[in-house]
This record gives sequence, structure tokens and C-alpha cells, in this order.
Amino acid sequence: MLIDSNQNDVNLTSLKEPVINLGNQIQNHGVLLVIQEPELNILQVSRNAAYILDCPLESLLEKNLEDLLDPYQIVRIKSRLAEDSLDFTNPTKIWVKKKREEYAVFDAVFHRNSEGILILELEPAISENNIPFLSFYHLAKASINKLQASASLQDYCQIIVETVRKVTEFDRVMLYKFNENNHGCVLAEDKLESMEPYLGLNFPESDIPKPARKMFLSNLIRLIPDASEESIDIFPQLNPITERPIDLTNSTLRSPYPCHIEYLHNMGVGGSLTISLIKEGRLWGLIACHHQTPKFVSYELRKACEFLGRMIFSEISTREETEDYDYRMKLTSIQSNLIDYMSQDDNFISGLIKHEPNLLDLTSAQGAVICFSGNYTLIGETPKEEELNDLVTWLQKNVNEEVFYTNSLPEIYPEAEKFKNIASGLLAIPIGKRNYVLWFRPEVIQTVNWGGNPNQAFEVNEEEGNLRLCPRKSFELWKQTVRLTSLPWKYVEIKAALELRKAIVNIVLRQAEELALLAADLERSNAELKKFAYVASHDLQEPLNQVANYVQLLEMRYQNALDEDASEFIGYVVGGVSLMQTLIDDVLAYSKVDMQGIEFAATSVEKALEKALNNLRRRIEQTGATITYDELPTVMADSIQLMQLFQNLIGNAIKFRSDKPPEIHIGVSRLEEEWLFSVKDNGIGIEPRFKERIFVIFQRLHTRDEYPGTGMGLAICKKIAECHRGNIWVESQLGEGSTFNFTIPLKGRESERRNGRKTQNNLFGRG
Amino acid sequence: MSVETEEKRKIIFLVEDNKADVRLIQEAFKNSSLSHEMLNVRDGIEAMAFLHREGEYHTAPRPDLILLDLNLPKKDGREVLAEIKTDSKLKRIPVIVLTTSQNEDDIFQSYDLHVNCYITKSRNISQLFKIVKRIEDFWLETVTLPREQ
Repeated sequence: MLIDSNQNDVNLTSLKEPVINLGNQIQNHGVLLVIQEPELNILQVSRNAAYILDCPLESLLEKNLEDLLDPYQIVRIKSRLAEDSLDFTNPTKIWVKKKREEYAVFDAVFHRNSEGILILELEPAISENNIPFLSFYHLAKASINKLQASASLQDYCQIIVETVRKVTEFDRVMLYKFNENNHGCVLAEDKLESMEPYLGLNFPESDIPKPARKMFLSNLIRLIPDASEESIDIFPQLNPITERPIDLTNSTLRSPYPCHIEYLHNMGVGGSLTISLIKEGRLWGLIACHHQTPKFVSYELRKACEFLGRMIFSEISTREETEDYDYRMKLTSIQSNLIDYMSQDDNFISGLIKHEPNLLDLTSAQGAVICFSGNYTLIGETPKEEELNDLVTWLQKNVNEEVFYTNSLPEIYPEAEKFKNIASGLLAIPIGKRNYVLWFRPEVIQTVNWGGNPNQAFEVNEEEGNLRLCPRKSFELWKQTVRLTSLPWKYVEIKAALELRKAIVNIVLRQAEELALLAADLERSNAELKKFAYVASHDLQEPLNQVANYVQLLEMRYQNALDEDASEFIGYVVGGVSLMQTLIDDVLAYSKVDMQGIEFAATSVEKALEKALNNLRRRIEQTGATITYDELPTVMADSIQLMQLFQNLIGNAIKFRSDKPPEIHIGVSRLEEEWLFSVKDNGIGIEPRFKERIFVIFQRLHTRDEYPGTGMGLAICKKIAECHRGNIWVESQLGEGSTFNFTIPLKGRESERRNGRKTQNNLFGRG
Repeated sequence: MSVETEEKRKIIFLVEDNKADVRLIQEAFKNSSLSHEMLNVRDGIEAMAFLHREGEYHTAPRPDLILLDLNLPKKDGREVLAEIKTDSKLKRIPVIVLTTSQNEDDIFQSYDLHVNCYITKSRNISQLFKIVKRIEDFWLETVTLPREQ
């Protein structure tokens, strides 16, 4: 049966995982001993120990390590075992006593497994002397020195495979790199002329599945000297102390999974050595050495290859990062341009899109979107807003990283297939919770060369009712057309996006800080102004009162002594002073209406209105005004200010009455989020062009002879409405009466404040 | 009320910095039928010196009524009020705050400091004269004031 590789990952993993980790067989080229610490009793042995150590298994299990080694070695081993790391101990040459005082020399490797059990692995030593590490260092150094500074990543990889092949004499040495989809690609190869080349071919993820990858992360060198060798059992099978099979994950001798052996067979490999290349804790790639026939490599030589690999690889890492040096410099300069624009412009969004270079240039994307506070700013080719909405929701649920990128969005987010021509590739940076910058790349149809058909990488055979995986038999070139994929995002582009994220976060934070500072400044100057207005008007009153009082005293005392002119002049003084007193009172009243001073509470509008009417009682009586009102609700408001608002509006309605007796109606209707109140009169009306002007402080439409007043009343009304987060406006025609409307939010001011605060928190809510 | 005190001229102590206001209040009291004497100082420090009979005030009489403005130079009316009302020798003298301030804080604070009453000066002179008349009627004729001990 053939299975499709995209069909069931789960199945493959579940079939493979347990076997790789728990397999407790070893390869035949060495002996494994499980040892009890600190006594060093032998608990378990591999069955091949009987002939390699020339001693029956049963009697081996009765022995102590001291029975096998001479006291001098035992002392040395014991002191090594006492140290924290066994790395410095490995490998150790040891001489094992066989029968008749004969000794066999082994490379001994100690390790403790996941359960802390000591395991000793012995491989027959090929040479009695240690290979000097320095010679490998010189070899590696010489190889690197051959390369010029301008050499490419490719050249470096080539040097590695050539050098490794030189020292190990394998038939084929390849350097494998895993791409973002975990498929492996052969970057460099050195081999016998006669062999089929694998250079440039891709190998599907399933060739080295996840559990095997995990193993490569902890077991950096893996030798299979003879792929046709039989596996050896451990005796007894269960550890006498734990009563479980022994965990051999980090054992160097552990047997490969049969499927892997089969894979090697199908590839024509007799022996192999695999060296892991790790970068930032991730399996970057492998050096894979293949031999057509079995091949043993001594522990030291293996270690040396690992060292060599790592040494040159560290050069590769730097190289990989500097490879796109020019491009990176370009991006850096774009990035600093963008940061400048962002801080110069009013908001960072326009800074990112309105100039050259723009957001698109930073990652060589064809489209980009800034999603901020629920608004989308689009540039270039992007999905539609509804599509973006869904995508952002998906990102919120599925992405927690500071940066997310894929060159095949439809593969993980199937809805993206609709807009594959725009966004098969996505690079996203979250800024706060629902805010993102997204870059898009269109689908690019590519051809990938595979070593064998990746869709037929495995066969599943059914044997005795058990499913068994078998690797494919063909590794011939297989060309695949890849769809729903964009050009990949380069490391430098991703890094540039991350840098931009930092800058945006800083700018947004700074703008928020500036706003807060500005608000504090405003609050301060507002408070000062208020205080000033209060003090000034208060202090103005005193001298004014003085003038008023003495003029009145003059009038009182000398009424009979003054002529008509003098009385008239005194009349003007009294009138002017009294107007000024009213003005000051109104300015004081105006300065008292402010946000901080408002005391929100559930307020009966009817009660507030009745108080206002009571204050206006005399004028209502004098003018014969009729005042009617609807059933009035209870609202969240400051009762005194609401009363003042009604008093001013109704007072005006009476003041600006026509020839008819005033008829005033107070109406109310409930809108979606606010109450709409109206004060309708049958007065003289207002010309529409003065609609705005009347609400401006000190603005009047009439002379004081016609209508007395300071021009503060409606300004105070407006301020009261605004302090309640409501509005006020007038509907009127000259001669047809006026209707003053004002609104009060249903929930009062507090709820809006809370919402406002919440939005801000969301911005930086990300942990 | 003994015969002696009835005959005695009432001493009204006016603490007010503005000359014009002092004069106006004096004018208002001129209409009075009551025999009284009005004494005036123009800042808080002077006021306390007067009440404690310090320095040039060592012969100062004890006032029967204090009219106190709140905004005074050197030491303001609130401090003067607080000092009077915490001084065992002075606290029984009735103090009337007479000010233009209608500020609620001023009103609360004055009563907290045990002012006897708080009167806002009217801007209208006839109104002012009426107030002064009522002060006289009430504080100097109706109420029984404590005797100096």
C-alpha cells in the first residue's frame, strides 16, 4: 500500500516514535554493560559479551567491574565517575582481563541514561594510541584558510564534506540542511566518481522523522558500521532494579530502527556515520557519511569529525548571517529611514507608507497591511478587509511569537487559497493584542528536485496484522511542481521585521507617553487657568463693589443736591458696574463647570427641571409663560449642572419671546446610546447662520438695550453638555421659534472612560 | 443682664484691610441708635496684638463683637478665627465673618473653626445697610453676651 505523505503524519509518528526511543538492542561491534553505582556491580550485559569478553553471561552478571579491570584502572575510573561531567572521561582506553591473563584493549565510553543508570560501552580499540586532536584542528584550520573572505556558504559546505571524507575515507559525504518545512536538501557532496550524485536533491521530512531528529539533538555522532549486522539483545532484558527495559537513547551502540536499516539498504549503504549540526538549539542539518560496504570508525575519529564539523560549521553560521551582507545593509538603511519617518510623521502608520522607501521595501513584499486599533492601512497587493479580519483572528488564536512567517500560508490556513495570488507568503509581527503589521508575497510556482518521489517516501506493509513502515526503494531524481508557495522569507528580512516591531513598539509607547505628558500639561494649565479665572473674577469684584457701593451712597445721601445730568451720569455708572458684576458672575459660573468637578449620579431629570423652574418662577409669572414637559427619565448626570442647563435654556426661551406669551415644551426621546432632550419655544427664533456662534463665549446677537445678558449662558450650556460627553445644538428659523437639543449618554461618562482605558491596555496586553 | 453692662458702650472690633469697606461699614453703623464704639485694624497680626493687648494695644478694650474679613494681609482671617476660637480667653467673643466670598469651602471652614455666623457682604448698599442693622439688632441687642471674667 502506498500512502501519501501529506495524508497522515500522525500515523507515521505513532508508528515510529516508541521504537526509536525504547529499542534496547545494540549493534554487534561493541559490548554494553549496565553497572550499579557505587559498588560497580554488573547488572546487565549485551549478549555478545560472552564471546567478546570471553566469559559466560551468567558469570559476568555475578561480577563486579573490579573483577574485569585491574585496581589501577578502577581507581582512575572511580575518580572520573565522581566528576560532574563524563565528557572528559570519554573515551578511555581500558584493558580488560580475559582468561589466562590475556588483555583486550577497548575504547570505553561511560554515560548515565535518563534514569541515571551508568552504562559502559566498549568498542574494540583499533589503535592503541589516542589520535591527537590538534592534528584535526590544524586540518580544519588549513581548510578554512583555503577559503577567501568572499567565499560563499556553498564553498564552506564543500570544504566540510571534503575534509570529513579525507579523514574518514567514506565513499560519500553529504551536508544536509533542513529547510523550514523540515525537508532536507543536500548542499554539498563529496563522493566516489562512480556513485550517483545526490547534490541539490531534496529529501522529505519523513526520511528523518521528528523522533529521530530529537535523537540527533542529544546524540551528536551516530555510527552504524555495518548496516547488515544483526542486533544484539541485552541480558537480562529487564533491569533488575527498575524492572524495566533499559533506556539506551544516548547509547552510541544502540541499534538503529529496522526501517532506517532498510532505508540504508535501499540506498545501497553498508555503513554510515551521521554528525549533527546544531545552531541555536535547533537541528540545522547533518553531515551524512555513507560507505557502500561496512565501515568502522573509531570513537576518537568520530569525535574528531564532530569537532571538525562544529568548527567549520561555526564559520558557516557566521557566513550564513553575513552572506546577504549587502542586502542586509540595504534593509538596515530602509529600516532607519522608516524609523525616522515614523517619528517625524504625526502617526507611525503614515510614516510607514507615505514615503520612499516604504514598508514594502523592508521585506521585499508585494503587499503589506498595518492593522491598528481596528483600522486597516493597506499598501500594495493585499487581501480584502474581510479576509484580513479573518486572518487576524486566526493569527490571534494561533500565533504567540514576536514574529510569524510562512511561505505557504494556504498549507496552515486553508482559507488563504482564495488569495494565493496575493498572499501565499505571510510575514507577521504582532504589536499588542489585535494590532499587526503583515507582509504578503504571491504564489510562485517552483520546481523542486527530490531524491525519489516524496509522496511515496514510505510504504506501509502489513505483516502478521502489524503495520510496518518500509522506506521507498527509489532515490532517483523526481521533479515536483510546488504550488501555493511564495518565495521564502529570508533571515535578514525576518530580522528587519523584528527590528521594525521593536521600533514601532517604542514609538507607540513614546507617543502614548507624550500624550500622557501632554494631557498632564493640559490638565495643569487648565487648572491654572481655572484658578486664574476664579481668582481674577473674585478679585475684580472687590473694587467693583467699592465703586458700586459709593456711587449708591452718593445717590442716597445727595439725591436732592444733584442736578438731572449728575443723576443720569450716576445712573450710567450704576448700570455699567452692575453689568460688569453680572459678567464676572457668569465667568465664575463658566469656570466652575469642568470635568473634574462633575459629580455623576443617577439624577431625576424632572427634579432638576423643577428646580430650574422654581428659580425662574418670577420671570415665568411675569411673562405668563406656559411650560409643559414629557415624562422625564433618570439619567447619569450632575444634578446641579443639569438644573443650570435647563435654567439657562428656559431662561433664554422666556427672554427671547415673541409678542405671544411664551410656550415652552421640554421633550425627550431615547436614542441608541443617549438621551435626546429638547427645549422648544415659540420665541423670536435665530437665523440659521448664527447657529454655531451663539454657543461661543461672550457672543451676542442683540444689543444690551434690546436684551440684557452677558453672552455666557449658552456657552455654559455647551460646556455642561460636553462635560457630560453630550452635544448641544439648535434648530431654528428667524421668527419661528427655536428648539435647543442636547444629549446625555445613557451610561454616563464613566463607562466611556473605562472603555478608553481598556483599549489602551489591549495595545500592550501581550505578555 | 446687669444695669452696669447695659449702660456700657458696646465695642465693635472690625478687622478689615480695605479702607473703603471700613468706611462703608462705619457709615452703616452710623444709622444706629445704639451707643457703640468701632475700632479697626487692617491685618491679622494687628488683630491678634489688639486682642492680646500687646504693645501699643496694652490698653485696648475687650470687644463685644468681632467683624472679621477673611482675606487679610500678613495673617488671614481664617488663622485669626482659629486663634480666637482656640484661645480660652477669647473664644467666647462672638465672631462674625463678613466677606464677599461665597465659596463653599470658605463657609465650611469658617463654621468648622466655630465662627458664630458667616455673612456675605451684599453689593447693594441698601442691602448692606439692612444687614448691618440686623447685626446690631441681633448681636448687640437681642442676644446675651458673656461677661468678661
